[in-house]
Amino acid sequence: MIATASGFVHPALGFYLLAFILPFVPGKGWKWLLLVPPIVAIWSVMTIAPGEYGQLTWLGQTLHFGRVDKLSLIFAQVFAIMSLIGMVYAMHVDDKLQHIMACVYVGGAFGCTFAGDYLTLFVFWEMMSIGSTFLVWLARNPAATRAGFRYFLYHTIGGLFLLIGLLMRYKAVGSLGFDHVDPSQMMAYDWMIMLGFCVNAAVVPLHAWLPDAYPQGTVTGSVFMCAFTTKTAVYVLLRGFHGVEVLAIAGTVMAVYGVLYACIENNARRILSYHIVSQVGYMVAGIGIGTAMTMNGAVAHAYAHILYKGLLFMGTGCLLYAAGTTKLDQLGGLAHRLPWVMALYMVAALSISGMPLFNGFISKTMTITGAAEAHRTWLAIGMEIAAVGTFLSVGIKLPYFAFWAKPANNKMVLKPIPLNMYLAMAMGASLCIAQGLYPDMLYRYLPFEMEEMYHPWTTWHVLQALLLLGFSGLAFYFTREIITPHAKTNLDFDYFYRLIGRGAYALVSKPLAWLDDHWTEAYRAVGLAGLLNLARGTVWFDTKGIDTVVDGSAYTVRNIGVVGAKVQSGRLQDYLGLTAALALGIFALVWYLA
Amino acid sequence: MSLFGMLLNWLRARTRVIAALFFLGLAGLVAANVFIRPHEAEYVFDAYPGFWAVFGLVVGLAMVIIMKKIVQPMISRGDDYYDRNS
Repeated sequence: MIATASGFVHPALGFYLLAFILPFVPGKGWKWLLLVPPIVAIWSVMTIAPGEYGQLTWLGQTLHFGRVDKLSLIFAQVFAIMSLIGMVYAMHVDDKLQHIMACVYVGGAFGCTFAGDYLTLFVFWEMMSIGSTFLVWLARNPAATRAGFRYFLYHTIGGLFLLIGLLMRYKAVGSLGFDHVDPSQMMAYDWMIMLGFCVNAAVVPLHAWLPDAYPQGTVTGSVFMCAFTTKTAVYVLLRGFHGVEVLAIAGTVMAVYGVLYACIENNARRILSYHIVSQVGYMVAGIGIGTAMTMNGAVAHAYAHILYKGLLFMGTGCLLYAAGTTKLDQLGGLAHRLPWVMALYMVAALSISGMPLFNGFISKTMTITGAAEAHRTWLAIGMEIAAVGTFLSVGIKLPYFAFWAKPANNKMVLKPIPLNMYLAMAMGASLCIAQGLYPDMLYRYLPFEMEEMYHPWTTWHVLQALLLLGFSGLAFYFTREIITPHAKTNLDFDYFYRLIGRGAYALVSKPLAWLDDHWTEAYRAVGLAGLLNLARGTVWFDTKGIDTVVDGSAYTVRNIGVVGAKVQSGRLQDYLGLTAALALGIFALVWYLA
Repeated sequence: MSLFGMLLNWLRARTRVIAALFFLGLAGLVAANVFIRPHEAEYVFDAYPGFWAVFGLVVGLAMVIIMKKIVQPMISRGDDYYDRNS
């Protein structure tokens, strides 16, 4: 069983149980059930002692569900808190399927976090992929459907890299153990696994799925997605591949690349998506540099990032919910009508910018200072450039054009925002501020031992941050006419992904279809004639003899066929749902029997 | 309109005052930088007062102008570019 005698209640358990029972809960009170798994998860990660829990032998492999140590605990802790905030934010949603898929997704993130071997990791990794695909699809519009297919295809490919890597590795070393790899001894399979992780971490140039899919997700689904996928990838990179030089450089490239695109984007949720690429860049760089300080910086930044990025997506989610769009050229002049959305959004915006008093200040500066102290000057400067860009786009441009730019807009029809959405944002905002004021709230959980504790609240750090951000603000003031967003599609690497997709489509639809046609032709000429003769013989046998006996079973077969035909709807979403349900069912059975 | 909303509208009508306060604040920060310096310079130049002010301003201006004026015209397409193709 996953909840072992030793007392570890795996946080994923509550989410999967809820996903199972939610369709059968009648009445209206079911929405309160949404809060139960997050609260159980918070209780679980706050009380559990480090150790190995919940092992299970399956298919000749020992699966490790419960590797609990300082590193997995701090990630699980912030996942648990964010899941509570996300569920509160989603409580007004009546569509049960959205909640079920959020549960499948969040449960997957917990499963990955505590996984001690690659097989367990892979199973939960794919659960996340399925759950999040549905969170895009359930926006239920054509653009989201297309984006969801692209997202799923892309993550399937990423998952296959991981699968190929872990199978090759198993063949070579005979173990599925998931531990740190010495960067100087990396084999082809290690690179393959790392590549799979990098897809989910949105490492440039593998990142374009993120700004493609997240802006299309449901209002509440994107809040979950922005927190879990990339940060789970950060966690597994940190555990498996810290100190790999290429990550240090790739991370810094991400940090800068993301802000450059955000600078020219028009859709608010796309701006935020590019800033996920950028912020995860700081973490990936910290992992690549690999000193205790930069790795702690990566963990701290992941923690802070989940809170403020969730809040940013909640704020823009409110805009989407109320105004029906997040395109900045269509918004503006709404500050006086959505004052609290604006204020709570600003808490997150100042947090991501690293403004003193907010949690980005205590996490971002740690990675940058760590990079400088490790004498990686260029990387540190890259991160400072990204910090300027972050404040420009998320800190000023987005709120300015969404809430202020035009004259006060009293005409736009705004749907009233439910109280639970405000409540969730207030929870996120209070945590952002509390961590900014009391860094120890976060630092005490940091997993790596440092020679000297980092102190963010020195006069110099505060002054430096204020100078950097203040004068970035001045740059915005001078260029506010130039930076005005335009309704444009900016080409990114997904242009190439689509080319590859079209190429594969052309291959299937032309040469392979031609081959199939000819094969069908040959089959008709040779195979069909034989079959017809056989059929004639069978008909004779049937009518002469066993008609009465067989009729009964024929009806049965037909009925089964009808069910089978219904299941085979040809729709990927149905297959995915069935696969997930089946996989979960098998897992539940195995747990029960083991 | 809520009280908070009215306050925001009141502020909106006073952008000149807010801008003036903002510039004053920036001047104050640079002045403070003359006296408050880092214990040890991490990038050599940051030992000089005003380094981070210049850094923020120059990087910010360069980023906006280069991205909006040079890069975006090259890589941008119509808003429905992909929708038309797929």
